Amino acid sequence: MMKILVTVKEVAEVEDDFEIDGLGIDEAYLEYDLNEWDDYAVEEAVQIAEAGDDVEVVSVTIGPERSEETIRMALAKGADRAIRVWDDAFESVDLLDVAAKTRLLAAVVEKEDPDLVLTGVQAADDGFGATGVSVADEVGFEWAAVVNELDLDADGGVANVRRELEGGVEELTEVDLPAVLTIQTGINEPRYASLRGIRQAQRKEIAPMSLDDLGFDASALDSPIALTGMSEPESESDATLFEGDAEETAAQLAEVLREKGVGAQ
Amino acid sequence: MATTQADSSLTGEQRAIRDVVREFAVEEIRPTARSADETETFPEEVWDGLAELDLTGLTVPEEYGGFDADRTTYSIVNEEVAYGQLAVATALSVHCLATECIAAFGTDEQKERWLPDMAHGRPVGMFALSEPQAGSNPAQMETTAIRDGDEYVVNGDKQWITNGQRGEVCILFAKTDPDDPSSVTQFLVPKDAGIEVGQKEKKLGLRASDTTGLKFDDVRIPAENRLTEEGKGLSAAFTILTGGRVGIASQAVGLAQSALDEAREYAHEREQFDKPISSIQSIRHKFADMATQVHASRLMVREAARQEDAGEDNRVSAAMAKYHASEAAVDVSNEAVQIHGGYGYVTEFDVERLYRDSKITTIYEGTSEIQKEIIARGVLDG
Repeated sequence: MMKILVTVKEVAEVEDDFEIDGLGIDEAYLEYDLNEWDDYAVEEAVQIAEAGDDVEVVSVTIGPERSEETIRMALAKGADRAIRVWDDAFESVDLLDVAAKTRLLAAVVEKEDPDLVLTGVQAADDGFGATGVSVADEVGFEWAAVVNELDLDADGGVANVRRELEGGVEELTEVDLPAVLTIQTGINEPRYASLRGIRQAQRKEIAPMSLDDLGFDASALDSPIALTGMSEPESESDATLFEGDAEETAAQLAEVLREKGVGAQ
Repeated sequence: MATTQADSSLTGEQRAIRDVVREFAVEEIRPTARSADETETFPEEVWDGLAELDLTGLTVPEEYGGFDADRTTYSIVNEEVAYGQLAVATALSVHCLATECIAAFGTDEQKERWLPDMAHGRPVGMFALSEPQAGSNPAQMETTAIRDGDEYVVNGDKQWITNGQRGEVCILFAKTDPDDPSSVTQFLVPKDAGIEVGQKEKKLGLRASDTTGLKFDDVRIPAENRLTEEGKGLSAAFTILTGGRVGIASQAVGLAQSALDEAREYAHEREQFDKPISSIQSIRHKFADMATQVHASRLMVREAARQEDAGEDNRVSAAMAKYHASEAAVDVSNEAVQIHGGYGYVTEFDVERLYRDSKITTIYEGTSEIQKEIIARGVLDG
């Protein structure tokens, strides 16, 4: 029996035109969806489960009741059950920082005792990009970040991974289980949930967990970080149009890339 | 656009299905739409995708590997697939009509033979009721199926058959007595029993849909392929078509919504007189009318579906929904072209195709005139 825990997050997405109101964006401009990176993490876990004999996939989220609809999509794609961490105390918290998320998720990891934890590399909204590795450190698991290929040797207790480093460099490495891997987009092709998957997901368990259930009180959410302002970054576009046939435009593109230093050693 | 009231009454399962099918429509169907229309080719890879989502088994009972959707879910799926491309939704709804007929009237043996495979997408179904001289009045049909020992011998021509080339299983309506208009009977005819496929129709819109005539020239089928009792074919067809009408109305809503969304995006981007045209009152009023039309259509469709799910008689409400939603789809796509100005008249923008596609919704599966006849009968003679 192998257990994979996948952390998922419902993220807010803004419409093209939106207005910032104080420290937030008005709800009218927001839509909520499963974090893109987490979608790849779920798919990776489900593919491992489909290829294996006895693999349980559990997804865990920190989020309000509204997020159940999003979490159910992970169940529809093949996760077996879910855990949703929430508490009234969250309502008064503006910013849930990495340390707080780490405390909560580490407590869930310790309760569930999985062989493998998959997280997305980052969340599309707050984008700290640190939670996965931070959880690994807290629970003392091995870890690999920004994984774009995974070959799991469950019997040998090893995950063979390829991970992205900076500057287009990649690393092949082995990670001993239990481990936390943060999953990069493109590692697989996430499926659409099927209608039957959606129907089954309505009957799957989403277990609620409060701070108390995890052995914490409201102080677990305290953070030294405060949100002090929100603004839209100024953007400008500088488009270059190449004209001519494929050979000419390729030459022009190569010129620009050389100027920008691409391919330089 | 903000969630409409029509969506707040959906169950969690229905909302999830709506979201997934909408995403599939935008990501997988829409990108193939222009080329499918230009080349008049049905996008088979999209069909395979529909099958993976279980959509081809939408109206197949669960025991035969289908999803056995309620009418509301059926409506949502039709709306969202049509949001991607009407021709794909049309092909799917005809396939569903065929599986519904087999599920409702077939023997256990027939269901076992056809439904599990059809639920998985292939063979594709066809529904052969119309004829060159029998459109709104199907009782006028001339195709005959004459009993000969253990077989029926079929002769005649069928017209406007969706999935005509790609389909393999035909639900056929034919008279068992050429002189008796009340002898129309429903049969299941596999393509390979000897059906000849006619030329593909050249159409104003819906050009990715595979529409042909079918010719039956002494086609012999075993007597057990008869789905209804002799003479019970038309009443069976009308029951199935009432549900189908909700599907077509839903497709009209999906098409109108996509025209509205395309126009909305364009109106925000297009600047004239130093401002986006979305800030000009004459344009804004068009959007108010279009959005109201789409919203009203969707509510009518959902109510007709709800009535069917509740076991209520929805013949009049389904006819009202089909009439209103299809006429609204023509109006809304017409205004979407107008808002695009000259750009709406060229194939570079999707509204040109949506405008051409919209017209068929007021014609097929009961013209607006036939819907009004049904509505008037309910109002005056009910």
